[in-house]
Amino acid sequence: MIIADLSSHELEHRLAGPGIRLRTGPVVSRIQSRLPAVVQGIALHYAQYPTEESDGFADFHVRIGRPRNLRRWLQPQVLFFVDGQAPFTPLPLDQAFPILEWGLNWCVSAHCHQYLIFHAAVVERSGRALLLPAPPGSGKSTLCAGLVNRGWRLLSDELTLIDFATCSVVPLPRPVSLKNQSIDVIRAFAPASALSRPVHDTTKGTVAHMRAPIDSVRRAMEPARPGWIVFPRYEAGAAAHLTALSKGRGLMEMAGSGFNYSVHGRRGFELLANVVDRCNCYEFAYGDLEEATAVFDALATGP
Amino acid sequence: MSLTAAGTWPTSVSEVSSPQLRWRGVPRTALTWREWGDELVVFNHETGSTHLLDGLAGAVLHELTAAESGVTLAALVAALTDDPSAQDRQECAQAVNAVLTDLSWLGLAHADKP
Repeated sequence: MIIADLSSHELEHRLAGPGIRLRTGPVVSRIQSRLPAVVQGIALHYAQYPTEESDGFADFHVRIGRPRNLRRWLQPQVLFFVDGQAPFTPLPLDQAFPILEWGLNWCVSAHCHQYLIFHAAVVERSGRALLLPAPPGSGKSTLCAGLVNRGWRLLSDELTLIDFATCSVVPLPRPVSLKNQSIDVIRAFAPASALSRPVHDTTKGTVAHMRAPIDSVRRAMEPARPGWIVFPRYEAGAAAHLTALSKGRGLMEMAGSGFNYSVHGRRGFELLANVVDRCNCYEFAYGDLEEATAVFDALATGP
Repeated sequence: MSLTAAGTWPTSVSEVSSPQLRWRGVPRTALTWREWGDELVVFNHETGSTHLLDGLAGAVLHELTAAESGVTLAALVAALTDDPSAQDRQECAQAVNAVLTDLSWLGLAHADKP
């Protein structure tokens, strides 16, 4: 069963009551909320995602709700709850859907230590994964959104999960978070992509989410082998170009992008070294998304 | 400067450079390595730190961890150079000494008290 099998009334009723158990790759999250923005966001972004039995196991029990204080009436706010706790301060009510997305990312990065997790977008072509680790503001998610609108499969725009047993990248396809100018860039680059209404004045500026392509959602249980590690950097006016990076430097940069690299000690080092062993490493500067996607098309069809 | 085996800091570079000093690497069992060409990446289990070393630093660390009783600067230079001229030996000694200082900063090597 997928979310789209539920009528809008049934989706709203379930979210307000027992919740839905949403499967995103290997993770099941039970989500509850009475907030219309959350119901609409789930209907838009998660329609094609599997929903598990209502009494089945869930990794995280999440609720998006309003704090019980005067803020209910004055400048209303929203809180992210997981397993009954609210680990973060409230945000303006307008940010109800972004807080769900940010909270779900936090749940995975802070708890799913069965994987080695990196702050990196990751997409796939012909079975090989392209890892795009980069700090905020580097154009990582924009590039990721561009690539998945040009035939690459979305594994994640934010969290790269590496399986210890197989050294493969485990998909976690969820909406792609776009910020500020990137929203209009993607609207122009891929007019058919489905974007949520922009939310202004968040800590990240203006935020909108792009729905994951349906093929990426349907193949969410299909891992990919590491193929390339590329550190992207947006530079206005720059010609798109790849610069080879040594594996040693690639490993060090990846280690710096790890959410739980230090948690795993030697085991984490060995897995990361195995990933780097399998990859060609590059730095990448770009100023135009069309040029950038062409570079990666050539990379994917090369040796 | 580098941290000595007794846990005190030498007061000058000349102390680090003393030819009587015997240098030791952290136990080999505390390290996991990966080499790509002239680069060596090493993970120190004792500190949880990951380090990227160039070819010379990697070679010095290999020599240190292989010599359980420690090794002097002169012995390191001899191990790393074949039949050098006096000038080569001097340049090599300076380079190796700089590497030893860096390795001690990284917690990968230390000098015994003379």
